Amino acid sequence: MRNDPTVVALVIAARKGDRDAWNRIVERYAPLIWAICRRFQLSRSDVDDVAQTVWLTLVEHLATIREPAALAGWLATTTRNECLKVLRSENRRQYGEQLDDEPAAQDDLAELEHELERAQRQIALREAFAQLGPRCQELLSMLFRDGGPSYREIGARLGMKPGSIGPSRMRCLDELRRCPALAALIEAEQRTGNGSDVRGQHMVER
Amino acid sequence: MFVASTWWNDDDRLVAMLGEALREADAVPRELVDTGKAAYAWRGIHAELAALVYDSEHEPAATRTDTATLRAFTFASPRLTIELEVANGCLLGQVVPPGAARVELQTRDGEVASVTADELGCFTVGALPSGPFRLRCRIGASVDVLTSWITL
Repeated sequence: MRNDPTVVALVIAARKGDRDAWNRIVERYAPLIWAICRRFQLSRSDVDDVAQTVWLTLVEHLATIREPAALAGWLATTTRNECLKVLRSENRRQYGEQLDDEPAAQDDLAELEHELERAQRQIALREAFAQLGPRCQELLSMLFRDGGPSYREIGARLGMKPGSIGPSRMRCLDELRRCPALAALIEAEQRTGNGSDVRGQHMVER
Repeated sequence: MFVASTWWNDDDRLVAMLGEALREADAVPRELVDTGKAAYAWRGIHAELAALVYDSEHEPAATRTDTATLRAFTFASPRLTIELEVANGCLLGQVVPPGAARVELQTRDGEVASVTADELGCFTVGALPSGPFRLRCRIGASVDVLTSWITL
């Protein structure tokens, strides 16, 4: 989301030395970096190196970020570039110079954009969930569990009448949608048809 | 009016996506998050950056010198060039123009090893870093140069 107020506030705070803000940035975006690395099928130790480089590069660029709202796009692009670097150097080690150029058939910008869009939605969903009251969090957690328990079991666990679970679920989901983080994303996706304004924006002054 | 089903207005899809979002965050290896948090220790170093301009590993084999197993790097900034070689389990370096530089080897978790370059600008770091590292070279109060991150 280009207009995500949270990320702008976090970047500005992290720039001023607020370690908690930096930690929240890391928690928010680590799943995006992890997802992209997995697409490139890197080994665990390569993933650690790539992630490390991406975070360190971000730390260095914190002060010069021109458009903090496009942080996710910048992270996705930087992660992809680092993954490609790893693959290139592995190819070189294995095949010598013959395969010096583009190794990455897996590299697909459309997939990267898809990953970015997914990550943005997941960030908004987690953020919204964290803002719900404990009762709603409890109820929803039971609902999305795989092979989830029946309404009767949920009712017994949460001390609710089975008949009230359906309406409660509806109310909690409405609350979720109204949380600012998710509401802003939904509005953006509604406006653009599919949230196409979230993509690949560069924010670093070069 | 017909309203197309979207992931946010379909309750079942929304619940499923929420579950997926929380599970995927839980699946991220802890180290990936921890190293990210540790990276903040390197905030606010305002040194001149020296870019990697030569890496022996990126040269085609045919153009490499005879010591093919040796890894060599060159970093360049407007004020300083730093040459680096791996030999005999040591990291040998030279800053150009030569001078008694204080050289710091920084690793990703915030550790620092310091050595001093001699009057020819030569320095040796005894232990090879296993992960990504970079060098910071300072001469007097005016020259402060930081290389990009590399991995041997």
